[in-house]
Amino acid sequence: MIYIRNSAFFFAVCLIACGTAGQSAFADPAKLALGKQIFLEVAEPKCGVCHVLADAGVVGEIGPSLDDLRPDAERVEAAVVNGVGVMPAFEGLTPDQIDALAFYVSTVAGKAQ
Amino acid sequence: MSDSIKLSRRHVLAGGAGMVAATALMNPSLLANAQEVKPAEPKSLPEYVKWKPADALIIHSDRTIETKRSAFGTSIITPEEKLYIRNNVKEPDASIVADRDAWQVSIEGVKNPKTLTVGELKSMGLTTVATVLQCSGNGRNYFQEKLKGTDKKISGTPWTVGAAGCVIWSGVPLKAVVEALGGPVSGAKFITGTGGETIPEGINPKDVMVERSVPIKTLDNVILAWEINGNPISLAHGGPLRMIVPGYTGVNNVKYVKTVALTEKETDAKIQATRYRMYPLGEKGAPTQPSVWEMSVKSWVTSPLTDVKSGKVQVTGVAFGGMNAVESVEVSVDGGKSWKKAKFVGPDLGKFAWRQFVLSTDLKPGSYEIVSRATDSKGNVQPKDNEINASGYSYNGWIGPVVKLAAA
Repeated sequence: MIYIRNSAFFFAVCLIACGTAGQSAFADPAKLALGKQIFLEVAEPKCGVCHVLADAGVVGEIGPSLDDLRPDAERVEAAVVNGVGVMPAFEGLTPDQIDALAFYVSTVAGKAQ
Repeated sequence: MSDSIKLSRRHVLAGGAGMVAATALMNPSLLANAQEVKPAEPKSLPEYVKWKPADALIIHSDRTIETKRSAFGTSIITPEEKLYIRNNVKEPDASIVADRDAWQVSIEGVKNPKTLTVGELKSMGLTTVATVLQCSGNGRNYFQEKLKGTDKKISGTPWTVGAAGCVIWSGVPLKAVVEALGGPVSGAKFITGTGGETIPEGINPKDVMVERSVPIKTLDNVILAWEINGNPISLAHGGPLRMIVPGYTGVNNVKYVKTVALTEKETDAKIQATRYRMYPLGEKGAPTQPSVWEMSVKSWVTSPLTDVKSGKVQVTGVAFGGMNAVESVEVSVDGGKSWKKAKFVGPDLGKFAWRQFVLSTDLKPGSYEIVSRATDSKGNVQPKDNEINASGYSYNGWIGPVVKLAAA
């Protein structure tokens, strides 16, 4: 009985979690492209001055390699909004831009060939 | 007992299969994509710290590496190999440690400013001091955990206890150097150290350079160190020369120090002006807020960390007072309801070092929440918890590092 209830619950969680991840990662190329554009061109100073991110073709060496860190979207957002260590808070970006940027970095970090 | 294990194993298998099915169902492209995108490699030590033992460390990123809580040992000193890494900026080229004595540091804000080599510094004086080196953000994880499920976030590495170690530095007292150069200029209120990192094009150097100012009262303690635990300081830990400010958090101990200036004002480099400040969540960093400088009294248990056999158990840990000697440590095995005084173990290496402690206790079968609470020589007691600050600095509560385990 416990087994049935738990696995049903687990399955439901999987549907929600995987469905959401699947949709967001692959049904929204526009958001991904926007995030990449903000990463490469809009954010100032430019993200690639300080960070490695193979998907974006940048090899900045000041801060941690994002391919190494592999942050989730929440972590990227917190870092961009608040700053981390010497990394400044990016006050010039709108919440939508930060959202797209966080989505992009968390999706591609550590995954480029 | 065996039934419940079987159940949970089947449960996990069923859940796993469900997950794959659900994933494919919702998004067939995911399977195709999985073949295109290689899974990320496990994190490995970057080149400049390849000599460190990976099994003793938690690798957060190539700039942030934590000592495992189980790896501090019980012999007081943290070997340099196991010492944590937190680099705000990429380390300079390894060529700077090829001829260590040739490294130059410019001493400014004195009556007779001069650029000195490490070789020359070695002729000017010698002192040795054991200090706790602790990242400003050590324990940030405990703040971040408290914010889970809220819309508030603290950015930064989720350090638990391992962004800290106790090491012995040798070098020249800065005071001896300053006196040899005619003493401070009048009006000097800060010691400002500048790191030797290379700042690339495309960014304002002041935005990211490592340049920290500490109050001039630290002049009695600051040393320009070339040696750690009996060896030349590695590049990763700031060699050939590091400015050590005993009792102050890691960031103030400037690596590859190239300029030491006695200044009237704090530097306007962002790492000082707006970063490493204490302020509430939702606010922004500003020079008016308290700078992250002095460390406070703190301790944590280092063993046991997992379930134990019931009977006699040695509860061990480390304790330090920050600016003051640590006076005593108490241990609780019931989450802070009752406390017993622990004994210090081994020699006292001075007020800036940590001391290791042990409580020999008898654990009957059951569940335990093991914590430690230190008191310094001024009577400051480690608090149960800290108020959250926006960057998650200076956690010194005793409840964060609680060890929950069972004795069977």
